Amino acid sequence: MKNAKKTMAFLLTACMIGSSFVGCQKKSTAATSGDTKKGPVTITIWQETDATVAKTLQSELDKLGPDIVVKLERKEKLGDALKLVGNDPKSAPDMYFFAHDKLGTFAQMGILSPITNFISKDDMKDLMPMTVNAATFKGEIYQLPVYFETQMFMYNKKLMKTPPKTTDDLLKYMKENTKGGTYGFAEQHSTAYYASAWMHPYGAFIINDKAEPGLNSQQMIESLAYHKQFIPYMPADGEFNTVTTLFKDGKAHSTIGGPWLVPDIKAAKIDLGIAPMPIVNTTGKPLTPYSGVQGICVLKTAESKKAAVTAVLKQLLKTDIGISLAKTANCAPANSKCYDNADVSGNEMINAMKKTAESVVPMPNIPEMDVMWTVTEGMLAAINKNNGDIKTQCVKAQKDALSKIEAMK
Amino acid sequence: MSKRKTKRTIRLTLTNLFFIIVCIACLIPILYAFSVSLNSGNNFLSSSFFFIPKQFTLNNYKTILFDRPFFVWLKNSVLLALFTVIAALGVGVPAAYAFSRQRFKGRKSLLYILLLLNAFPSILSMFALYRLLKPMGLINSYTGLILIYTGTMTIFSLWNMKGYFDTIPEEIEEAGKIDGANDFQIITKIVLPLARPTIIVTAVMVLIFVWNEYIFAINFMTGAEKYTLAVGLYSLQATDYTRNWPLFSAASLLASIPTLFIFYLIQKQMTSGLTAGGVKG
Amino acid sequence: MNKKLRPYAYSLPALAVIGFIILFPIFYTGYISCTNMNIYHWFNFRWIGADNYKKALFVFDSGFLPALLRTIMWTVINMVVQVIVAFFIAVLLNSEGLKMKNLYKTILMFPWAMPAYVSILLWRMGIYNTEFGLLNQWLKQLGLGPVNWLSNSSSAFLACMVVNLWMAFPFMIMTIDGALQSIDKSFYESATLDGANWFNKITKITVPSLRPIIAPAVILTTFTTFKQFDIIFLMTQQQGSNTGANIHTVITYAYEKAFITNNYGYSSAISILIFVIIMIVFPIVSGKIMKEEVD
Repeated sequence: MKNAKKTMAFLLTACMIGSSFVGCQKKSTAATSGDTKKGPVTITIWQETDATVAKTLQSELDKLGPDIVVKLERKEKLGDALKLVGNDPKSAPDMYFFAHDKLGTFAQMGILSPITNFISKDDMKDLMPMTVNAATFKGEIYQLPVYFETQMFMYNKKLMKTPPKTTDDLLKYMKENTKGGTYGFAEQHSTAYYASAWMHPYGAFIINDKAEPGLNSQQMIESLAYHKQFIPYMPADGEFNTVTTLFKDGKAHSTIGGPWLVPDIKAAKIDLGIAPMPIVNTTGKPLTPYSGVQGICVLKTAESKKAAVTAVLKQLLKTDIGISLAKTANCAPANSKCYDNADVSGNEMINAMKKTAESVVPMPNIPEMDVMWTVTEGMLAAINKNNGDIKTQCVKAQKDALSKIEAMK
Repeated sequence: MSKRKTKRTIRLTLTNLFFIIVCIACLIPILYAFSVSLNSGNNFLSSSFFFIPKQFTLNNYKTILFDRPFFVWLKNSVLLALFTVIAALGVGVPAAYAFSRQRFKGRKSLLYILLLLNAFPSILSMFALYRLLKPMGLINSYTGLILIYTGTMTIFSLWNMKGYFDTIPEEIEEAGKIDGANDFQIITKIVLPLARPTIIVTAVMVLIFVWNEYIFAINFMTGAEKYTLAVGLYSLQATDYTRNWPLFSAASLLASIPTLFIFYLIQKQMTSGLTAGGVKG
Repeated sequence: MNKKLRPYAYSLPALAVIGFIILFPIFYTGYISCTNMNIYHWFNFRWIGADNYKKALFVFDSGFLPALLRTIMWTVINMVVQVIVAFFIAVLLNSEGLKMKNLYKTILMFPWAMPAYVSILLWRMGIYNTEFGLLNQWLKQLGLGPVNWLSNSSSAFLACMVVNLWMAFPFMIMTIDGALQSIDKSFYESATLDGANWFNKITKITVPSLRPIIAPAVILTTFTTFKQFDIIFLMTQQQGSNTGANIHTVITYAYEKAFITNNYGYSSAISILIFVIIMIVFPIVSGKIMKEEVD
C-alpha cells in the first residue's frame, strides 16, 4: 500500500517536472519572439504598487494591442527578485515599474538598459527636470518617470484651525496641544525618509551624488539639535502604524505624510487639510522632504524587443497616463503638460505636490544609498529615542557609513 | 479515603485553573488579531481598545473569502503541501529505515554531519539555490519549490523517524522472516504499519512548514495565480500602498485554521510519534 | 538486491536531496566567498582568494564580541527556560484525570500554527507598542505611565525572549509530552511501592528517561535559536522602525555589517565564518550527549 503511494508520487512528480519543462519552453519562445516574427509581442512588466495604479497602467498599455500585449505582473519583493534573475532572459521581466532610488544599484549591476536606447532626449522634453534628474545615474537616463510623490503637511481641519506657517509656530502649537495621549503633531521622526525633511533646510544631506555621506557635517548636527526640540511632544515610537493611527483616530492634529495615506484618512472621515510645509525659522527654508519618482525601467534582456519597448515608452510619454493616474489615484504626473488639464490642476493635493517639486530633493539613487538607510536610522534612534549626544552619534554614524561603503567594494 | 479524594480534587482544580490561565495568556496575541479583524477601519491599532471594536464588522472575512483569491491561494497551498509531504516521506522513510536497521560504513559520521549541517545560516542560500534550479528549468515551477522544501525538511524527518524505527524491535522482523516473508513484505506489512505514528507526525511537521513558508515561494514563483496562502498573506501587508491590517488579520486567522484542525485530528498520533524520537533500543 | 548495497540505495534519494538543497548552498557560498561578487562585479566576478576573509576579520571588531556573547546568552537562557517550563507543563498535562487535556494541547499549539512574521508583527504592534499596545494600555488603566518596551536594550532583549518562547513552547511541549508517553508506567509503580515521593520520581525516573528521547529535538532547536534572525530584526531593527535598542546577535550583526552592502563575496565569507564558529562551539558544549545519540 505504501509502495503504491510511492509509485504514484513518483509518477506525479515526473509529470510535474515534465509539464513545467513544457511550460518553460512555451514561455521562452514567447519571450524571444522579437521583431522579426509576425504575431503579438509580449512585454512583461513587474510591479509592486497600489492596485489602482496597476490597473490604470494596464488599461493604458492595453491600448497598444493587439500587436503588443503588455502584461503587468505583481511581484512581491521586487528588488530582491531582480537581483536574482537580473540577466536571465527566461525569468527576468522586460521592464519593471518602481521607485527611482534603486536604479543606481541595478544599473551598476549591469542589468538595466538606458531608456535613451529606445527614445530620444527630445521625446522627454515635457518631463519635469526634477524627475529626469532622479532618473539619471552616471550620466545615463535609466527610468522613464511617470509620476512622483512627496510628502505634505496634513492636518485635521476640525482640530487645527490654522496650520502653522513656521516651525516655531508648530512647536508652540505642539506645546499647547499635546497632552494625555493627544498630540499636536506626530511624524515618523526617526525614519530617515521623513527625517530628511528637517535636514535639507539646513543644507545637510545624508549622502551626495559623489557618494560622500554627510552625517557628521556641522549642518547635520545643527538640524538634528533643532529637530530634537520637537521630539518630546511626539510619540516615542515614531513608526508608521503608530503615527498614522493617531492621525486617523483624531488623536494627532497634524502629521506629515504621502498621498498614499489619503484614501484611508478620508475613509476614517477626517476633514483633511493640506498646507505647505512649515518654514524653518533658523534658515528661512521650508521643510523639504525626499521625493520618490515612480517610473519604468528597461532590462537589458529586453533589448531584443526594441520596437515593442519603444512603443510602450512612447505610450507612457503621452499625457494620457498622467491624467488618468491623477484622476484615479491622486498621483502627481511627471509630464508637465498634464497640468494643463483641468482635472489635474484642480486637484488640491496634486497642486501641493507640484509646488514642492521645485525645491524637493529626490532620493539619492546611487548604490551607496542602500547602506545609508540603516546607518542614518541607527543614528536617529540613538539621538531621538535614547538621548544620545548628537555630535558623538553623528561622528560614529559617519564612520560607520564610510566603512560600509568601503565594504561594498 | 475521602481525604485523598479531596486532595485529588483540589489538585485537579488547581491544574485546570493553571491551564486555563496559561491558555488565555498564550492566546492573547491571537485574540488581539481576532479583534483587529473585526474592525472596519484600516487600523492595526486602536487608541481605545475594546475587544469588540466600535466599528464591528464581519466584512473583512467576507472580503478575504470572496473578493480576494483566497480559495486559489488555499488550493495552491494544499496541492503544494500534499506533494511535498509525499515527496518528503518518499525520500525520508527509506533513509530512516536504512539508518536505523542497517549498520553500514559511515553511518555514525553521516548522522553527526547531517545534524551539524543545520548550523549553517541559510540567509544566503537563496542565490545558491537559484543557480542550482535555473539550469534545471525549475524556477517558477512548483516542482522546484517541492524540491527545496523536501531538502530542507529531510534531515529533521530522517532523525525523527530513525529514532522511532530504533524502538521497533528487530525480533518482529526476524519473526516475519522465519514465517517466510521476503524483505519487501517485511517492510511494507510489518514495519511501516508499526511506524505509522511517526510517519503521520513527520507528515504534519512538513505540512506546517510548507503551509507557512513564504520566502522561497515569493522569490521563486511569479504570477498572482500561483500564490500560496503564505504569499497571499504577505502581499496583504507588503508595501505602504497595499497594507490593510484588518484584512491581513482576518486572513492570518483563516490561514491558521486548517493547521489547527489537522493538529486536533492527529492528537492521538502526535504523542506516540514524537515519543520515541530517540529511545534507545 | 545486494544486501551490502541496500542501505545506500535506500538512503540515496534522501542524501541526494540533502546534497542539493543543503550541501550545495554551503559549497556555493564557500566558492562565492573567495570571489569579489558585489554590485560592481555582479556577473563578472573573479577569484580573489582569501581577501574577503581578511576583510571579514575586521568585522569581528568591537561590535562582534558583544554580539557573540549576547547570542550565546540568548541561546542558553531561551533553551533552559524552554525546556524547564515545557517539562513542567507537559508533566502537568499528564496529570491523572485531566479531562480537557486535548483541548488545552490544541490551544497551546496555536503559536505554531501562525507564520512567524505574523506573530512577531502582532507582538510588536499589539502588545509592545508604546501608544496602543496592550501592555501600556493596562499600565494606563492602573494609572501608571507608558513604558517604551523596545527602546531600552535590556527590556528589548526580554521582550524578544518572550516572543521567542511563545513561539517555541508548542514544539517543546509536544516533544516532551510525547516522550513522557513512552516511559513505562511500571517504573513509577515500583517506585511508589519502594516509597518514593513525587520529587524523587521526577528526578530519578522521568528526567533520565527523557533525556535521550528529546535530545535531537533540543539540539535542533538550539541551532535554530542561535540562528534566530527574524524576531530581533523585525522587533527592533527593521528599516523604518528602528527602536534604538542595541541587541544585536551574531546574525543580525552580520546582516547589518555585511549583507546590506550587497557585497556577496564578503557576506558569504562572514556566513562561512559564523558556520565555523557554531561548528566549533557546539561539539565542545554537547560532545557527550551527541555520542550517546548517534549510536
